[in-house]
Amino acid sequence: MIQEVAADVALGLAVAIVLASSAGVLVMRGAYRKLHFVTPAALVAPVLVVLAVFIRSGLSENTGESLVALVFLLVAGPYLTHATVRAIRAHDQASERDPEQAP
Amino acid sequence: MTGFVVAAIVMLAAVVPCGIVVCRGKIMEAVVAYEVISSIAIMVLILLAQGFQRPALFELPVLLAILLLGSGLVFVRVLERWL
Repeated sequence: MIQEVAADVALGLAVAIVLASSAGVLVMRGAYRKLHFVTPAALVAPVLVVLAVFIRSGLSENTGESLVALVFLLVAGPYLTHATVRAIRAHDQASERDPEQAP
Repeated sequence: MTGFVVAAIVMLAAVVPCGIVVCRGKIMEAVVAYEVISSIAIMVLILLAQGFQRPALFELPVLLAILLLGSGLVFVRVLERWL
């Protein structure tokens, strides 16, 4: 019973984080500001989801494969964010040089 | 319907605002929204596999997480160099 409640709490937190991040991406102006809302959805929420799977299933095949996916997400998140910032900066510089070419 | 399936459905609803940004935002804003959608898709696959108790389906989020790094980096680098 306690395990089910704990898993549901973790799932609820993950869903709330994802909804808030999604709203932030929609509301914020500019790619730099939107980028701040990627990390909660890409790093924090998956940790809570895998935690919920672990609470419900224990040390099982499901938890193991979820952990593998989580590790790849944890590795990919910072790299992708950094590369995206570089691309936004290059795009902004190109737009300043030639404003008519900016999409 | 377990809590995992409900969470997956609600998370899928969170894709809609990001989809609006992908369709209507500028190109770099769309890239940011695409990254959020990718992460949400991985979580939804994990939740559905757990919710329906199908251990075989856990391979899909693992593959998608691996591809997210490669495809995202390639996508961003192309935008950085040629756009």
